[in-house]
Amino acid sequence: MALFQISEPGMSTAPHQHRLAAGIDLGTTNSLVASVRSGVAETLEDEQGNALLSSVVRYLNDGTIVVGKEARAAELDDFENTVSSAKRLLGRGVEDVKTLGGKLPYNFSSSDNSVPQIETVAGNVTAIEVSAEILKTLKLRAEDALAGELTGVVITVPAYFDDAQRQATKDAARLADLNVFRLLNEPTAAAVAYGLDQDSESLQERIIAVYDLGGGTFDISILKLNKGVFEVMATGGDSALGGDDFDHAIAEWMLDSAVKAGSLIKKSGDASFDQKITRQAMHEARRVKEALTDAEQVEVNLVDWNVIITRSDFDKMVVPLVKKTLLSCRRALRDADLSKDQVHDVVMVGGSTRMPVIREKVGDFFEKPPLVDLDPDKVVAIGAAIQADVLAGNKPDEEMLLLDVIPLSLGLETYGGLVEKVISRNTTIPITRAQDFTTFKDNQTAMTVHILQGERETVEENRSLAKFALKGLPPMVAGAARIKVTFQVDADGLLNVQAEEETTGAKSNIEIKPSYGLTDSEIEGMIRDSIDNAQADVEARSLREQIVEADRTLEALSAAMKSDADTMLNDDEIKTLLTARDQLISVKEKSVIAKDVKAAIKNMEKVAEFYVARRMDDNVKTAMAGHKVSDFASKDK
Amino acid sequence: MLDLTQNYFKLFGIPEQFELDAVALGSAFRELQTKFHPDRFVNSDDKERRLALQITGFINEANETLKSSRLRARYLLTLHGVDFNDEVDTTHDGLFLMHQMEIREALEAVENDDDPLARIDDIAQEISGEADALKDDFVAMLEQGKLTCAKEAVLKMKLFERLCQESKRLTEKLEDDLF
Repeated sequence: MALFQISEPGMSTAPHQHRLAAGIDLGTTNSLVASVRSGVAETLEDEQGNALLSSVVRYLNDGTIVVGKEARAAELDDFENTVSSAKRLLGRGVEDVKTLGGKLPYNFSSSDNSVPQIETVAGNVTAIEVSAEILKTLKLRAEDALAGELTGVVITVPAYFDDAQRQATKDAARLADLNVFRLLNEPTAAAVAYGLDQDSESLQERIIAVYDLGGGTFDISILKLNKGVFEVMATGGDSALGGDDFDHAIAEWMLDSAVKAGSLIKKSGDASFDQKITRQAMHEARRVKEALTDAEQVEVNLVDWNVIITRSDFDKMVVPLVKKTLLSCRRALRDADLSKDQVHDVVMVGGSTRMPVIREKVGDFFEKPPLVDLDPDKVVAIGAAIQADVLAGNKPDEEMLLLDVIPLSLGLETYGGLVEKVISRNTTIPITRAQDFTTFKDNQTAMTVHILQGERETVEENRSLAKFALKGLPPMVAGAARIKVTFQVDADGLLNVQAEEETTGAKSNIEIKPSYGLTDSEIEGMIRDSIDNAQADVEARSLREQIVEADRTLEALSAAMKSDADTMLNDDEIKTLLTARDQLISVKEKSVIAKDVKAAIKNMEKVAEFYVARRMDDNVKTAMAGHKVSDFASKDK
Repeated sequence: MLDLTQNYFKLFGIPEQFELDAVALGSAFRELQTKFHPDRFVNSDDKERRLALQITGFINEANETLKSSRLRARYLLTLHGVDFNDEVDTTHDGLFLMHQMEIREALEAVENDDDPLARIDDIAQEISGEADALKDDFVAMLEQGKLTCAKEAVLKMKLFERLCQESKRLTEKLEDDLF
């Protein structure tokens, strides 16, 4: 640390109220927290110096929750209770999980709750709760590092996240007791981190492509930067394609090749063995992928099968996946009405972009080398921290403003199961838009409003966000009623809908809670539970402490009695002591309340007081035997 | 505070006409956003935050409307007192509709062409040429005060917009197949 901190020009040296704020990158594989300190945005590390927190949460049967590397390490042995890649499940319904589920090793509870529940030894958990645990860990880390409470955070989400997924992210933050300034699209955060807004003076307008290949999602965003204002021109990508899929591709190849080579055959068919081997293959695949970033070839091992794989073998395996991402890039460019040569910068985000094959193909596609100076794992968190600092009001003169668009169109179900778009994708948010509808039957007094998100034409092919009834319409002939449905999308991309019959004023106002999201009362319940749990945790810890204390007392008593009970105690006294001892043992074994154990220890000590005093006297006598008082006096010198 | 009842052209301080100075609109839009975006009110009270949301919603809606030539044309008609729902209302010009059908059929036949990408580029060019002609038509009609004819042009623009989307979708599909 520097002894003197040099302040930037224009930065006030006078003490001002600095509001603590942080940026959080809640990732599929890893999560990070960053903050602006002394004018520099940096990621915050844990006690071991790791910036990356593995997005893995393990639930133990005593209620302990382990987050991070330790949980990741237990993934192989305790996969049922160890939840990774929870981000993929955020805002997803039970039906979605059936398609994703094949790849996931958890047991999903078959409850009728619309939010998928993962069964663990500590009870059922949702992806929202799992994400909240990750956020809590990062919050603690930030508050330790910054020595104070956070006033608010910016949490990043993939640009492709729909309303339900954004809502689920906000719900997780609420469970973690975080004040969310803003949900920010990850690619926008990356562009901010590169400070591309800082040197835009010379250029009138700058087009930036952000290629973000994370653990579980791929996003391409085309941003336009003009005088410090970011506009998202277009977003695209695939919310179910990421580094994990590269691992899957390699793992599948490994399993196939191993079986073809005569390995693993004898045990295949045994479900639990298969599950374990698949996990092992995934781990090995990840290691191989990472090793091949620098090495030209590497040895692959899976149980009793091993082989050498070269980088070009690897590239061949993953090129179809890279091509898939480039297709999304073409689409996004088209949506933005731009050609490749109009793109000034290509920013690489996500650990997976370390793969040489990806850098090469992306460079070929955009016909310019991509920006890779910042750590692709940290770039999003850093950008979020910069934005959080601005939003907290620490930079009152800062002009930076991020304009976002809605990633997927919003619409209503109309006659015949078709969807009519009310707000089309890539519309700048916040936005308010109203649409008029009418009744299609004579004397119709109620009408169902079904809100959908997506680009397809039929109801089934889009995501259902909510369905509500507008009741109390005045009986009129078909087509006479004028029902105005107003959509309001806020800066986080979250939707609010209001419906009103204009001739009578019959109103229905709803907060959009996705059909498979959590209700407010469910979240309140979870918050209550977590507070109860926190109290229970404290209680459990002090109970354990008291039990240890009781054992120590009991041991001391039995050691003392063993050595001198026969000489120092009469039978009655022995009996009194043993009764008190048995009482303590019984309380210690049965009680679940620390206070009771403590009282029993106190009681035991009280009963044994005379014995302790007698032994002390005896000790002193023994120690002083054969000495004169003057001897003790001289010892003091 | 911003007047949420004022006309979109006045909001951005640009002339009330079909011809658009996109750069002027863009910079006026950014200026307003910088002032009223909810991010500027993160630490304000609920009332101010709601207000910011409402104002930027209005600004964005105005910007989206003026940016699109069809929506801008429709909005100009609204300002002239011609209000209509183009989801329900449609043109009854038989010849025009027939021509639309022809283009649609041509698009459907593209897949069987020797060079489908070149063919679809040709069709797309034809579509955009005719759409441009409609814009000129609209401006002329509006100037002459022939509002019914101007409305007819806007309804036709909508149909061209659909064709345009159709050709875009088809191009993507063809490219995907070739990629």
